[in-house]
Amino acid sequence: MHSSLLPLTHNQHPAPRLSQQACGLWQLCFDAMASPCEVLLDAPHLRADTISALCQNLVRETWRIEHQYSRYQPNNIIHAINHAQGAPVELDTETQHLIQFADTCFHLSDGLFDITSGILRRAWSFNVPHTIPTQQQIEQLLPLIGWQKCRWQPPYLQLPAGAEIDLGGLGKEYAADKALALLQQGAQQNPQPANTPSAAFLVNFGGDIAASGPRPNQTAWQVGLAGNPTDKHIALTSGGIATSGDTHRFIYHEGTKLSHILNPKTGWPITGGPSTVTVIASNCVQAGMLATFALLQGAGAEDFLRQQNCSYLVV
Amino acid sequence: MQLTKLGSIAQALAGASCALLGMNAQAGAPGTWDLDAAVLFYSEDNGRVQALEPVVAATRYFADDAQLNVKLALDTLTGASPNGATPSAQPQTFTRASGKGTYTIAPNEAPLDDTFKDTRAAVNITWAAPINSDWRYSSGLVVSAEHDYFSGGLNGSITRYLNEKNTELTFGLAASSDTITPEGGKPKGLYRVPDASAANFKTQFDAARDGDDDTKSLTDVLLGVTQVINRRTIMQFNYSLSTSSGYLTDPYKLLSVINPVSGSNTIDGDGKAVYVYEQRPDSRTKHALFWQTKYMLTSGDVMDGSYRFMTDDWGVTSHTLDFKYRWQLEHAYVEPHLRYYTQSAADFYHRFLLEKDYSAELGKTTLENASADYRLGDLTGTTLGVKYARQFNQQEFSVRAEYFVQSNSGETGMGVLSQQDLYPDTQALMLTLGYSY
Amino acid sequence: MHKPIVATLLASTLLSGCSQLGVNAYERSLLAKESMLLTSDPIEAGLDEHIYFSKEASSGGRGFGGGGCGCN
Repeated sequence: MHSSLLPLTHNQHPAPRLSQQACGLWQLCFDAMASPCEVLLDAPHLRADTISALCQNLVRETWRIEHQYSRYQPNNIIHAINHAQGAPVELDTETQHLIQFADTCFHLSDGLFDITSGILRRAWSFNVPHTIPTQQQIEQLLPLIGWQKCRWQPPYLQLPAGAEIDLGGLGKEYAADKALALLQQGAQQNPQPANTPSAAFLVNFGGDIAASGPRPNQTAWQVGLAGNPTDKHIALTSGGIATSGDTHRFIYHEGTKLSHILNPKTGWPITGGPSTVTVIASNCVQAGMLATFALLQGAGAEDFLRQQNCSYLVV
Repeated sequence: MQLTKLGSIAQALAGASCALLGMNAQAGAPGTWDLDAAVLFYSEDNGRVQALEPVVAATRYFADDAQLNVKLALDTLTGASPNGATPSAQPQTFTRASGKGTYTIAPNEAPLDDTFKDTRAAVNITWAAPINSDWRYSSGLVVSAEHDYFSGGLNGSITRYLNEKNTELTFGLAASSDTITPEGGKPKGLYRVPDASAANFKTQFDAARDGDDDTKSLTDVLLGVTQVINRRTIMQFNYSLSTSSGYLTDPYKLLSVINPVSGSNTIDGDGKAVYVYEQRPDSRTKHALFWQTKYMLTSGDVMDGSYRFMTDDWGVTSHTLDFKYRWQLEHAYVEPHLRYYTQSAADFYHRFLLEKDYSAELGKTTLENASADYRLGDLTGTTLGVKYARQFNQQEFSVRAEYFVQSNSGETGMGVLSQQDLYPDTQALMLTLGYSY
Repeated sequence: MHKPIVATLLASTLLSGCSQLGVNAYERSLLAKESMLLTSDPIEAGLDEHIYFSKEASSGGRGFGGGGCGCN
């Protein structure tokens, strides 16, 4: 097994590490979006320099997405949108696609999925020390929340002054799917001899998974979920897995367990639902959104998932 | 949530997420190289042309789907090639192209010029890159040089993608300029070849020169459509127009002048046979239609068939049929190949000239153009071959053996000439070794 | 010379029918294989083109030639 650091530098992340297992499987490890990221490449026909080039492109692209859509960066499109003081902002093609998707999700969820609800974090803190706001504090924030108040006319997005958007709810899943697409295109550009199985990849960004397969030995990827009481492995040939929710971030208040998923219409957390929902779907973005939608149903989460006929796991 | 109102959320999200993820033209594996190399051994029977051609090409991939390709080819030719004269029951002596020395052909033997030794080197550089997600362009430079021939050219093409890249439209342009510096200078086409045994041969030889060199320019236009038919089938349809002008004649070829009754070579006052230098028109326009289909069977085997139709203003019309079957094995393949070619003769092609077309006073043929180059006559060529390739790690080694037979036909001789084989077959064996990394 | 017109007509008929033909992006796995590239071995194709160019009166069709030579 050999391992090397990729020649990429980032002022907040360590250099990525690429290693090859004895069985030929390549493993890339790096940090992005506040999560440990891992990529598995099962591509016996690709040369080491091709694998390294693909991995470098993948990390560069992931770090690019992280930088572009992080709400902490002072010089990206999110910052421009959130500080436009009510003026319209012209978006690049990629951001337009993301905003369009968020808009679709807002309507599909009847307004429960709302990327303008991020400012509620000013009132709530689900990390220790916990903070529960007063109704008055929430009511101060509610006027700034509501995607329906934003003017979305591609390519222009106009938020009310003081409103903010946060793409954290789909950033990691989007990056995972993009990373997988990059690997698949890279494998396609190195046409392999016919009659050899296609390369298979698995991208795992902190639990948000996108995979393509089957693996050359005809098996599926075996995905284990940490903290899963049944210790069941999911056999994934291709598709996406995403988990929404957090078993650790909740607040007990007056006997009720408040999850950190907030209802943008009321400003209060969803109650009665599971701690986490894991969904398996055809891509990570779709899986993530289904899981989020399920959690937004609160007590009706499992019913929702059953009706949507998707494979899921609820904790 | 209004599940019933909106139908399946999962399905809607599937569509929306696919739209989000889209298909951008992203970089593939930039920073990597591909190397391809091959060497061809070509050998004709009966002491005719032998060639050895090594080729090496490197492709470098860049970000944003761009690539640079550099190809180097060397071509060494030895052996003899027909000079255009007819065989005779008498021995024939020909002057070498350089004017220095002669070669003699035995009676009833095909007249072959064995001074045909040459080495050619060619460099091909091509750059291709996308313009945006719907357009792609490429541009290239070609330079080829041998001791008596130099060619330099530029080419470029643009491709438009339609129907989610299922359709590709290509427009290409190529232009090149060639300089021919024949050994011994450029002969005066249609004029009599000076006889080496003549007393004033040197004077005659110099008088039959028309300068040291000449040029030729070529322009090619290509219009092509590539279409994905289904998961297993892809087709290409091309139309190409090619025009060339300038010195299109082969300076080393000649024609025999024959007596129409006896069939023997016409002789001059000194009893020497008369031959004239060939000459071709100074312009040529060719049209070609090309169609290719590739189909993959469920076994992974691939069938590849193509047809090309060509017609030009020299009167040549040709049909080319090519078929390959790739039989997929584990990490290897076997590919038999069959090619069939047929062409009709150029208007000015004559296997030999008759005395009526030759003027002794003028010392030249009275025809406007004439050539006995068998490659411009009626001919049919069949190639049968098989290729075997094996993949190791990420490399591929291949070996290909092909057998090529070309048979020519045309006007038959009369008198004693009818005893001669005016149209011997050309048979060649070709062996290609290839390596890919 | 009506042949170019015939060629254009054929090409445009092919094009108008083209929008119904084709596959989705995720169905291109077989077409991406090396054996399905229209020219799977460009070097070999170049060598053949040169041989037949020097033995026959036709050339090209597939694409552009790779440089002139004194062989035809």
